[in-house]
Amino acid sequence: MNPFIRFITRRLAFLLMTFFAFLLIIFALPRAIPGNPLASLLYQIIQQAQSNPDLVKAVYKKLLEEFGMDKPVHIQLIEFLGRLGGGDLGTSIAFYPRKVADLVFSYLPWSLGLLIPATLTSWVLGNLLGALAAYKRKTLTDNFLLTAFLTLSQTPYYWLAMILLYAFAVSFKFFPLNGAYSPGKTPTLSIPFILDMLHHYVLPFFSIIIGAMGGWAIGMRVMVIYELGSDYVSYVDSLGLPDRKILQYVFKNSMLPQITGLAINLGTILGGALITELVFSYPGTGFLIFRALSTLDYPLIQGTFVLIISTLLLANFIVDLIYAFIDPRIKTGYVGE
Amino acid sequence: MPILETKGVKAYYSTPLGYIRAVDGIDLTLEKGVILGLAGESGCGKSTLVNTLMMNVRPPLRFIEGTIILDGKEISSMDRSMLKKNVWGVLVSLVPQSALNALMPTQRITDLVKDVVMHHMNVSEQEVVSMAKKRFEELNLEVDTLYRYPHELSGGMKQRVVIAISTLLNPKLLIVDEPTSALDVSTQKQVLKMLVDLKRAKIIESMIFVTHDIAVLRQIANWITIMYAGKIVESGLADDMLNHPKHPYTFSLVNAVVTPEPEVRNRGLASLPGEPPNLLDPPKGCRFNPRCPNAMEICRAKEPHLEEKSNRLVACHLVFP
Repeated sequence: MNPFIRFITRRLAFLLMTFFAFLLIIFALPRAIPGNPLASLLYQIIQQAQSNPDLVKAVYKKLLEEFGMDKPVHIQLIEFLGRLGGGDLGTSIAFYPRKVADLVFSYLPWSLGLLIPATLTSWVLGNLLGALAAYKRKTLTDNFLLTAFLTLSQTPYYWLAMILLYAFAVSFKFFPLNGAYSPGKTPTLSIPFILDMLHHYVLPFFSIIIGAMGGWAIGMRVMVIYELGSDYVSYVDSLGLPDRKILQYVFKNSMLPQITGLAINLGTILGGALITELVFSYPGTGFLIFRALSTLDYPLIQGTFVLIISTLLLANFIVDLIYAFIDPRIKTGYVGE
Repeated sequence: MPILETKGVKAYYSTPLGYIRAVDGIDLTLEKGVILGLAGESGCGKSTLVNTLMMNVRPPLRFIEGTIILDGKEISSMDRSMLKKNVWGVLVSLVPQSALNALMPTQRITDLVKDVVMHHMNVSEQEVVSMAKKRFEELNLEVDTLYRYPHELSGGMKQRVVIAISTLLNPKLLIVDEPTSALDVSTQKQVLKMLVDLKRAKIIESMIFVTHDIAVLRQIANWITIMYAGKIVESGLADDMLNHPKHPYTFSLVNAVVTPEPEVRNRGLASLPGEPPNLLDPPKGCRFNPRCPNAMEICRAKEPHLEEKSNRLVACHLVFP
């Protein structure tokens, strides 16, 4: 068999095993949190039907059956896995009677729209600035950049988000306080709506970029400095290759760990930017997860985490493959040429 | 006109504790067509000297003073970008001490070859590749090697590929820094043969060969220069010098090696006690005096200078009282 195919098969098998282990954890963890997921739903019903305790009991029994919580845990697990196999993530408790899949797909576009551009921008900017600082190492430029990177990367991003919100939405009312679009509007593809959306987009977008850039830049700076000190650099230098070319070499080799970092980061995007979305009341998956966790909505917690874990694992798998193409040494390691 | 001529070259490492005088007043003349063997123990400044000779000086190393004339051009007054454009790779090439790690790991050999040649010459990619293929054949390297990644090559192979790349543009002077140190004896022999072939094929004109291995010098060099603690202590024709060393340091260096030469063998093996001096604060007078078995009063007071007698340069009060 082709060694590369064998490598991919092995990685896939490993991927499936990891995924299965995660499913068990996703199933078990919410159930370990004390509290009754039906409590809030039940509370509403009790308020509406105070005079009729029999009706409450009947509804409770019906709800237990509906969510399968009257059965033993191992049966619940088998049902959960069985439904998952059929592509069904179940019905949400907090948003009853909406399906988990529907909910996720109505919140997801907002998270993706916010996080993919923001992550890519901060990654590109961080790497370029980090490489610049490394190239200018021990100069004023480097000192300034490094200080800025360190400060930014250590600033709590929710605090940064709140400062931005306070400065540009409360003190100076340049930008709206919350939401992804003005209340009362319905999402359409019209120019006024898109402008309104972009207006809401600015603050969350920049709070993510600024918060994440410093970390990327520090990593890149260290990698580039390390590569600049390596033997192959001094060799091509002594052959007279121009600095620009040498930087290209160094940049290529320094990018490898950064690519892994990016992929892992992109893999977590489905989970949204939890706290940023909360601060700006941005209707993304982070917001949804927060709702799910605070109401102990088992199906919703399970559904969102299954999606997050799947993309994360998939992203890692793709990185492994990309690596094999970028770095020939790794390919040899995988394939055992 | 000699290919390389230096006068009073000093290059120091600047450290928080002061200057490390690794190259301290070197006068060297290298005639065209000569293979110069530069020897001395580890830490005596050999590598620093050869890098300084091509003005490859980077902090913490600093060029203090002196003139270096390479092929009639005063390169000691050129700036780095000028050196990169007109000197390095074209007039003088270095095969670095770390040749085993000198190739970029994520690049095929051809890509490096293309970058190097196309930076210095106005040629197309195809021309570069056919040029490199021809050269690899000439040097008995498998042409296939060009399409390999460095990690797919053995140590000896990497060493030879680096030598081939360094000499692609037919530099007049090739500097080889300890090319055989990391190799086994049979691979050493291949590398030495390759270097001799390069000269025989007139790809290179002259060579400086750095080593701490006297036995290797015997095989390849026709002129030998011995360094001790940042200075040249003796310089002369290879055979003559190895058979009749004049400076006490050269004497002990030659005597520390097992050789089949009866003349040397009869003297018996000897090792030199003590350690190389600290170049932050070198000894007064002759730098070798604390370890010299024949040290005299004057050796501790006055520094000896290189003087010539019958084609031999020696810096020793014993030889030139």
